[in-house]
Amino acid sequence: MAHDSVEIKPGVHLETATFEGKNKVMGFWMFLGAETVLFACLFGTYLALRNQTVNGPSGADLFDPVLVAVATAILLFSSLTSVFAMMAMNKLDKKGMLFWLGVTVLLGLSFLVLEIYEFIHYIHEGHTFMSSAFGSSFYALVGTHGAHVTFGIIWISTIMYQAWKWGINTETAPKLFVSSLYWHFIDVVWVFIFTLVYLLGMVG
Amino acid sequence: MADQNTSNTQPPEHKPESKMKHIVSFGAMILLTVAAFVLVLRDVVPVVWVLPLMLGFAVIQVLLQLFTFMHLDQKGSFYYILFIAFGVMVAVISVTGLVFMP
Repeated sequence: MAHDSVEIKPGVHLETATFEGKNKVMGFWMFLGAETVLFACLFGTYLALRNQTVNGPSGADLFDPVLVAVATAILLFSSLTSVFAMMAMNKLDKKGMLFWLGVTVLLGLSFLVLEIYEFIHYIHEGHTFMSSAFGSSFYALVGTHGAHVTFGIIWISTIMYQAWKWGINTETAPKLFVSSLYWHFIDVVWVFIFTLVYLLGMVG
Repeated sequence: MADQNTSNTQPPEHKPESKMKHIVSFGAMILLTVAAFVLVLRDVVPVVWVLPLMLGFAVIQVLLQLFTFMHLDQKGSFYYILFIAFGVMVAVISVTGLVFMP
């Protein structure tokens, strides 16, 4: 499908304007379905093993509600800024889009810093990947999510560079759209992490 | 599924999504998050109710996220919903199996 056949004007959904763009978005939802299963397996493992602490600290000893609330707020807010970026993209407002994507990336980075601080704190408390089955399954789950955040930050930053260089067109729009879907998915996973890992851990 | 034809003609013009819709949805997500925290940090309901209620809040929040922020409410999302629903189905089976495995 020739890209030139699509007139670029505000209000046109450039991300699905070409056959290639449509396939990208379609394929990405397939990928998200698979990611859901990946995280489900890690959640299931964690829930089955979370009480096997081998005399080490338990979730109730470790988890700090304030820290979790801040991390949750950061990620939820970054999901909103990512939506604003896509709305700016559909209006062909490149400056606005790059601004909101920049905010999204910065919020992602602060989430990551907070998580690293949290993990270092836990390691000092004797909660490590190898300390118990609780430790292994906790770090496997929350660490995989953190790895997704890291990848998302790098991905969105590189596509921001492309958009800055080439503008918003049928080539860059699907990439921007798909990376924002990925970012929302990271927040979706976090909703279950704060519920089933942190809050459930505090209940005991 | 009107959008599924793979034509290269002009894509239909959409009305620009309202910022309001996303802000309202975001507000609802914040409220659901706060509600989950309150359930755990304050003794408002009996302990047995905490997990089912929290899970309910999480599911509503994720549906909001999928249908507003991830645009599944727009036309032509049938296959996207199909794929993610299939993923969720396998996910639920896997989690249930793992948790209740002896």
